[in-house]
Amino acid sequence: MPGIELRKVQKTYGAYRAVSGLDLAVRDGEFLCLLGPSGCGKTTTLRMIAGLENLSGGALTVGGRVMDAPAQAVFVPPERRGMGLVFQSYALWPHLTVAQNTEFGLRLRGVARPERQRRTTEVMQALGIEALRDRYPSQLSGGQQQRVALARMLVVNPEVLLLDEPLSNLDARLRLEMRAELKRLHQAFQTTIVFVTHDQWEAMTLADTIAVMNAGTLQQTGTPDEIYDRPANRFVAEFVGSPPINILEFAGSDALAAAARRHLADRHPGITGIGSLGIRPESIALGPGEAPAGAEGAFTAPARVTGILPTGGSWIVELDALGRTLFLNTHVAPQARIGEPLHLAVPDRALNVFDARGDRIAAADAALARAAA
Amino acid sequence: MSGEAEAFAGSGRMRLLYRLRVATREPTTLVGLAMAALFAYLIVVPIAAILLDAVTTQFGDERRTGTAAGGWTLYYLHRSLVSPIAGVMFWQPLWNTLSVAATTIGLAVILGTPMAWLVSRTDMLGRRWFATALIVPYMLPAWTFALAWTTLFKNRTVGGQQGWIEALGFSPPDWLAYGRLPITVILALHYTPFIILLFGNALRRFDSQLEDSARILGASRARIARSIVLPLMKPALISAIVLIFAKCLGEFGVAYVLGLPVKFEVLATSLYRNIGSRQTGVAGVLAGAIMLLGILTLLVDAWLLREARRFVTVGSKGAMDRLTRLGALRLPATGLAGLMFAASVGLPVLTLVLSTVMHVPARFTAANFTLDYWIGRDLDTVALRQGILLTPDFWRAAWNTLWIVGSASITSGLLGLLVGYTVVRTPVRPLAVFLRQVTFFPYLVPGIAFAAAYLSLFAVARGPLPALYGTMAILILALIADQMPYASRAGIAAMMQLGKEPEEAAQVAGSGWLHRMVRIVVPIQKGSLVTGVLLPFISGIKGLSLFVILAVPSTDVLTTWSLRLVDYDYTQAANAVVLMIAGLAYGGTLVAQRLTRTNLAEGLGG
Repeated sequence: MPGIELRKVQKTYGAYRAVSGLDLAVRDGEFLCLLGPSGCGKTTTLRMIAGLENLSGGALTVGGRVMDAPAQAVFVPPERRGMGLVFQSYALWPHLTVAQNTEFGLRLRGVARPERQRRTTEVMQALGIEALRDRYPSQLSGGQQQRVALARMLVVNPEVLLLDEPLSNLDARLRLEMRAELKRLHQAFQTTIVFVTHDQWEAMTLADTIAVMNAGTLQQTGTPDEIYDRPANRFVAEFVGSPPINILEFAGSDALAAAARRHLADRHPGITGIGSLGIRPESIALGPGEAPAGAEGAFTAPARVTGILPTGGSWIVELDALGRTLFLNTHVAPQARIGEPLHLAVPDRALNVFDARGDRIAAADAALARAAA
Repeated sequence: MSGEAEAFAGSGRMRLLYRLRVATREPTTLVGLAMAALFAYLIVVPIAAILLDAVTTQFGDERRTGTAAGGWTLYYLHRSLVSPIAGVMFWQPLWNTLSVAATTIGLAVILGTPMAWLVSRTDMLGRRWFATALIVPYMLPAWTFALAWTTLFKNRTVGGQQGWIEALGFSPPDWLAYGRLPITVILALHYTPFIILLFGNALRRFDSQLEDSARILGASRARIARSIVLPLMKPALISAIVLIFAKCLGEFGVAYVLGLPVKFEVLATSLYRNIGSRQTGVAGVLAGAIMLLGILTLLVDAWLLREARRFVTVGSKGAMDRLTRLGALRLPATGLAGLMFAASVGLPVLTLVLSTVMHVPARFTAANFTLDYWIGRDLDTVALRQGILLTPDFWRAAWNTLWIVGSASITSGLLGLLVGYTVVRTPVRPLAVFLRQVTFFPYLVPGIAFAAAYLSLFAVARGPLPALYGTMAILILALIADQMPYASRAGIAAMMQLGKEPEEAAQVAGSGWLHRMVRIVVPIQKGSLVTGVLLPFISGIKGLSLFVILAVPSTDVLTTWSLRLVDYDYTQAANAVVLMIAGLAYGGTLVAQRLTRTNLAEGLGG
């Protein structure tokens, strides 16, 4: 299976830059999620890989073969790239039955009839749509249509499978099932998959690697854990995670931020140029009464519970700490009563330190991790 | 490293090559450019040519204009607008056209609005049947009625077979037999269906919650009708009125059959006569005047609708079919609708049918009935010595009709889909805009003016093209151009709904452009393609004004041939042909509606 490489890829529409300076490599057989808010350029990127859009600059290679490079005047049209693409709307051909939709690609490749039928049936069986073979798309449910769209692409064994938010039109339960199915298919076929989504939960559960995009530029690539635990900048930190990360701005008049600044200045004088601090809701622990004086390797502050929001199996706790509202996420039923004076503690290694521009201060990570040891 | 940097920057030549490669990978734009050239030639050039005729000296007029042939001159404008004969040639026909159109509209509104209401919002008996039956006059060619009228009311002013009234011993006065009155009445009956369709449709979609709200506030029914319903119906009424006006501008057949005996001219007939007498320059002025009126009408329409649509309502769940109970008025109302049907369909069709099976008009004896005019042989007549169905000319005209109208409709249907495809898909916006506008343009030009334009351009050899006058090609080309507004609109609407993705999915699966067109786009658009071919086909079969100028005896279609029969006073034969045209048009419309489940009102609304 081929890898995909995008180098300095640009896409402009007139003056508007949809994608700029995108460097991204997808390894053979990797499941990569392009994650970002709507309008961030992730679908445009996918369409450029498919060849439905051409590059304005940079180069795209697949399996070592240049597919699109303006500077070299190379452009391989989509019909000759041998990829598979599943659309958000499925885009099934309304005038063809399920079986005809599925075998379309094989017909195009001139596969002989017996072989065609065998492979079509095989894929339809694998996806559980064999019984629907003579129905038309308008007679199918959303989930069934989705499977047909997938079958249509899988039947030709594409080396690269591109998926554009294929699950967003399904209900929650079906989405979960299809997610498991996609993961299973990926393991079975070892196809290189690029999956576009704005749903972080989907990206987290499916991807080997997540590439987070915003405003046409790549923000960070990494494993789901890396993206969550060590966001490269404020955007990634705030886009990924629900409830969202708590941000303490050092520039303002926030008393809690001032306390955090004193703590870092005391314990980690080597870290400089901090603009803000991010604290994941799971990182916050609550303790009774006043904070223990001089707690080692953790930032503490007095706090009161102002609200408890059960979400079924976990709880979101709203805190007031030195006049700042924070959110805490816990899987243990909170014992605290509303208004009770408590203290919060965040281990130093769980602090995300950003500079004034919002980029992660990577040098701080080692120091903070050492403090915990 | 420097090598890589260079590779990314790329030379200007490489970038250009790349652009070219991307632009030409899909033939959409190339196809679009080819079509733009085609339509420029089929639509823009003929219209420019006839307008040019109006201001340049025509061959043979050098002495009068004082310039060489082809030189600029104001002679024709002067002749048509201010010379002593301008009154007969232009102003009187203009006044007749406008006044007939205005009276027609008035009559159609008076007749049509109550019918629209009865058919769409009351419990009148046979409501559904009337909903179709009252539309039939529009499915028949307008001059069917003109022939029926002459069959009934013809007097001694013209020769040939007597009219029925005359045969019964009364002599209808000229004002009843010919001219303004019958033309107006017939056009009103023919176009009333527009009001019934468009106004009725709007009434049906009217949100009855709006009425309920007014009723709860204590408004009377009359008050509701005046203050709520009518103002909201204004856009539909305006659309119908403008449509009727535009159609009246180019109306030729009715005015020709009924106006000629008393020299009642409208712009279309004056244009026809000027072409007949080789007054090409004056014909150019008249065609220009008709086009100008058409364009003005459309502009007024656009402006009025913009005003009216400010308060257009969106149909909601309240738009249900709640019918007014007529109570004691139920029977009289049904009778009124029946009377309307009898006057607008029953009587004319019956008259025509009877006229073709009777030797002497209005004599109802068994001996007087005959099928000779249909299937007789060795008749005692000067010419046309056999029944119409045994006349080779009839079959040739029928074949011509099928062949000319059929090929033009299929071509324009396909071109329309292709225009739709290009307009929606091409990345070259100016091309899309040009195609959309140029294909719409013939809509502004009544058929007769358009035909005159074709005659002006293609009567002589131009460039690589030989002279097309007298060939089928000129009829087919003119008809294609004339049908493009409907075809391209249908195509654009269909392509807008399709979306790019089914096609892109095929593309990624490995399908090239042509394969996609044949396997994906056309099959998906099958329904709208059938409509896009059938509806123009039907209007082409009954069309007259376009053909009457361009057809010669060897390329006669049914309509022009029947007009020749009228000219020769072969009343029965002419009526028989017209009946067959009417039957074809009516049957075709029903088939089209059945096949495509389209609503005629939507086809009209355009």
